[in-house]
Amino acid sequence: MIHSETAFTNDYGPQRLTIELVNICNLHCSYCFRAEDALYNSKPEFLSVPVLRKVLSDAKRVAGTTRVIFTGGEPTLHPEFETVLSAVAESGMKSSFVTNGWHFERVWPAIAAHRDSVTHVAFSLDGITREENDRWRGGGSFDRLVRAFARCHFSSLPFAIKVVVRRDNSDQLEQIAIFAARMGANALHFVHTMPTSAEIDNTSLALDERRLVEEEVAVLSRIFKMNVAIDVGYYNIDAQPPCSPLAGTSMNIDYRGRLSLCCNLSGFRNGTDETDVVADLNVEPFVEAHQKMQDLSLAQHQKRINRLATMQAEGVTPDLFTGSPCLFCLHSFTKVPWHNSTDTEEPGIRSLPVFNSIH
Amino acid sequence: MNSTSILPGKHIVFTDFDGTEGILVDLNTKKYYQLNETAMLVWKGLEQGKTVDEIVGQVTTEYEISLDHAKRSVEKLLGNFQSYKLVTSE
Repeated sequence: MIHSETAFTNDYGPQRLTIELVNICNLHCSYCFRAEDALYNSKPEFLSVPVLRKVLSDAKRVAGTTRVIFTGGEPTLHPEFETVLSAVAESGMKSSFVTNGWHFERVWPAIAAHRDSVTHVAFSLDGITREENDRWRGGGSFDRLVRAFARCHFSSLPFAIKVVVRRDNSDQLEQIAIFAARMGANALHFVHTMPTSAEIDNTSLALDERRLVEEEVAVLSRIFKMNVAIDVGYYNIDAQPPCSPLAGTSMNIDYRGRLSLCCNLSGFRNGTDETDVVADLNVEPFVEAHQKMQDLSLAQHQKRINRLATMQAEGVTPDLFTGSPCLFCLHSFTKVPWHNSTDTEEPGIRSLPVFNSIH
Repeated sequence: MNSTSILPGKHIVFTDFDGTEGILVDLNTKKYYQLNETAMLVWKGLEQGKTVDEIVGQVTTEYEISLDHAKRSVEKLLGNFQSYKLVTSE
């Protein structure tokens, strides 16, 4: 089962941690939402294995965590990647990771050695040809991804493909889905472009265009056997928690060992605040940090519910920075300081697309 | 077949599974092809720019089979590669 972060049902998946293993990345994708300085201009930092082991033990005991999703930066750049996988296996948990696939052949022996505890791998893809993909990710990236798909497919290791939806590929979702299915992917998760600067904010798909994308994804999810969903930036104005962090079923730990609300907020490019970080687990007990996180998660969800209720009372349809839970959190945690979230959409915008079960 | 040079298609991505098995991905058709040990040897030979005779020679070196048997096997494999448009002839 490959879980999507989208929660259009009441099922938020297992209790899990997203863990940023490293701050660095070997590729340079212009739309990436991690802070540029951390990725390319700072010294490499790696989550220490002793901290990881302690966090896993505490999270299992205190929060009932059973799954770990490794992110970065590029997680396979952690110099002790195999030990990291061992730590998860020894904790009795399951792991998966998000990768650009560049170093997949190198880390394959470590994955194969921990096949019982590695549930799947998620690969980032930008296009279904060498030209389309490597324009964003650099020469050679596509071939390495395809090799990784082949490796997973013929080793029966489930894999997901993640694609950022931009203006240039928003009309190619079906072709992308066919490609993913032919490669044997178990899941295809689309991600809206995150507003990492005023320029990207202004040139990204507008709310109506995003809704069309989400409707297309909903259609694809019904057509394809593999799980098709949209993971980040989707529009959802239901009263129930719209995502696992706000439902209290997932938390993030950054490469410094700090506990924060969501991997999509952490180290956000051009963000000016870190109020989504609740504790430094290098020095604070997990049990206290976890309580702070639960409080923050509840408070943030309530804040959004209140905002939605106010808009409903005023007869105003929520704008993108309220209707999208991700963008609401980005705005309220001061990750997008250039954005003035006073714009509203006219009432009557189409209703939320209905998604199938996303497990 | 021996007089022409056969090369792997540029639209093919090859993955070596520990030297005993390999996978070809055709980027035009988006299809996978699984190679056994002998097919791997032939494919790698083509990648290295070897002639058919050189590949046949390598097969006889690695496996205890006659030259005729090796030649027939290699030509059959090359025929398969050609019919699936995995290679180009120059």
